[in-house]
Amino acid sequence: MGIQHDLAWTRLPVALALRVVSPFAAAMTVSIIYWFGTSNSGPTVAFDPSQLAYVLVGSVLYAQVASYAWVPTVAVAEGKNLAVFPHIYLTARSTALYLAGRAVSAFVISTIASAGALAASYYVLGSFLHATIPLNVTALTAAMVLFALVVDFPAALGMGYFLGAYSLYASKFEWSLPGYIAGLLMVFSGALFPTSVLPFPLSTMAHYLPFTQFIAAARDAIIPGTSGNYLLSLGLCILGGGVLLLSGLLVYFAAERKARRDGVIDRRMA
Amino acid sequence: MEARPWLRTMKARALVRLWSIFGERLWIVVSMGFPVLTSLALSLLYYSIGATGYIGFAILGGVMVSFWGNVLWSMASQFNWDKQEGLFEIYLTSPGSLSAILIGMSIGGIIGTVPSAIAVILIGWVLFHPVVAASWGAVALAFGLTLASLYSMGMTLSSLYLTYGREAESINNVLQDPVSMLSGIYFPSIGAGSPFPIALQAAASLIPLTIGMEALRGALFSAQSVASIWPELAVLAAMAVIFLFVSRAALDTLERMGRRDGTIAVRIR
Repeated sequence: MGIQHDLAWTRLPVALALRVVSPFAAAMTVSIIYWFGTSNSGPTVAFDPSQLAYVLVGSVLYAQVASYAWVPTVAVAEGKNLAVFPHIYLTARSTALYLAGRAVSAFVISTIASAGALAASYYVLGSFLHATIPLNVTALTAAMVLFALVVDFPAALGMGYFLGAYSLYASKFEWSLPGYIAGLLMVFSGALFPTSVLPFPLSTMAHYLPFTQFIAAARDAIIPGTSGNYLLSLGLCILGGGVLLLSGLLVYFAAERKARRDGVIDRRMA
Repeated sequence: MEARPWLRTMKARALVRLWSIFGERLWIVVSMGFPVLTSLALSLLYYSIGATGYIGFAILGGVMVSFWGNVLWSMASQFNWDKQEGLFEIYLTSPGSLSAILIGMSIGGIIGTVPSAIAVILIGWVLFHPVVAASWGAVALAFGLTLASLYSMGMTLSSLYLTYGREAESINNVLQDPVSMLSGIYFPSIGAGSPFPIALQAAASLIPLTIGMEALRGALFSAQSVASIWPELAVLAAMAVIFLFVSRAALDTLERMGRRDGTIAVRIR
């Protein structure tokens, strides 16, 4: 249903191509900012293609998470607006599985879109900036990046459940959440700059976020010469993701029970 | 056309927009999220690479992206949403002018976006102390003309989106980031310092935001006076007038076609 909802409204190639445009443009924007800043700040600041790869990979990955982590929210909001949400709730006395299914489909679509955005921005940036961006793309490294994306899924789903719990009660602010998620990930996930740039204790908190760790792992896999530890990053990501998913589920179930008691499961305007 | 009913229609629509924004305090805070966080992240990116002299670009970009988001989501899409809710038919059957409604919507949108823009400036100023060398008269003129041309473009898009159904939202999603990139909200996309080939720079120059950002950066960070940036100001003024006429013509055409084909009241296509 999620795949149908997100892609079947037009022809499949068109729907997928449209999904690529936004992460491509976002990745281009931050990569060009890096290029512009380093190329015009005097001799003390030097343009480094490895750093460009760091920014490019980070920007595509944060966009990938941002584009599916909010799907549970919109699934609740849209479902209530179209009056299908109460029926989904009634079929299993919970909508948690439905939200997980929608998140899985969005994850698949956003992964394909992000791969397309990375490939497109790699070639376009190389052409515009006359630079060779050092990315080591082989079957093995691609599989390692994909594995990192999968490992991060529980964390994103956990965040989705928190937002979904909010969405059970809200009736208009939920539409602004994608912007918040994208913005927070930009600042705190180490997507564009090392988390050490942030002041303490934010830097420490941001460093141990599962989203930061999965981006670090993906960089370790695909950017040559990165000094991180792929397995350690994935381990931390799994740990943080497990905590986030468990707490997200507990909050969502509690919100669902309360929503039923308060009679807002089928209320369009909360 | 009489001026008084036109002005009253405009005022009424502007007030509805203002009440919808300022009547819900949480909404003001919520609408700040994306521009503030994006501006903060990109300022930190400039900071982390040692390009501290350009942090002001990220802050100015955050201010202007607030207005660009407002144009896309609260101007361009609005008539389409109004149509789906049955409000557009009421607009058409009322004696109020559609242009007055659109301009009222723009004025309400601009005032409603100001808190978000102020938040970006304050947070950016406190955290990063960006270096500013401004010619304030030129800044004010460039800012005013950029908004005028941007919201005129929003009126044109609003007319065009009426012909679309659910595609309108997808078009908005597709437009937001590429236009932000092409128009150089956070870095120069035309002229010196642009990474784009000439053809792409020429295409980007058709977007009012591109010209506006160029003029604003010149006036705010290089103390360029009105005499220095007058070509950009003239282009912005011309764009504002042209888009205004195009939106009016597009609305008239769509209304005529809608009446002829009986599609004005069709909510979902």
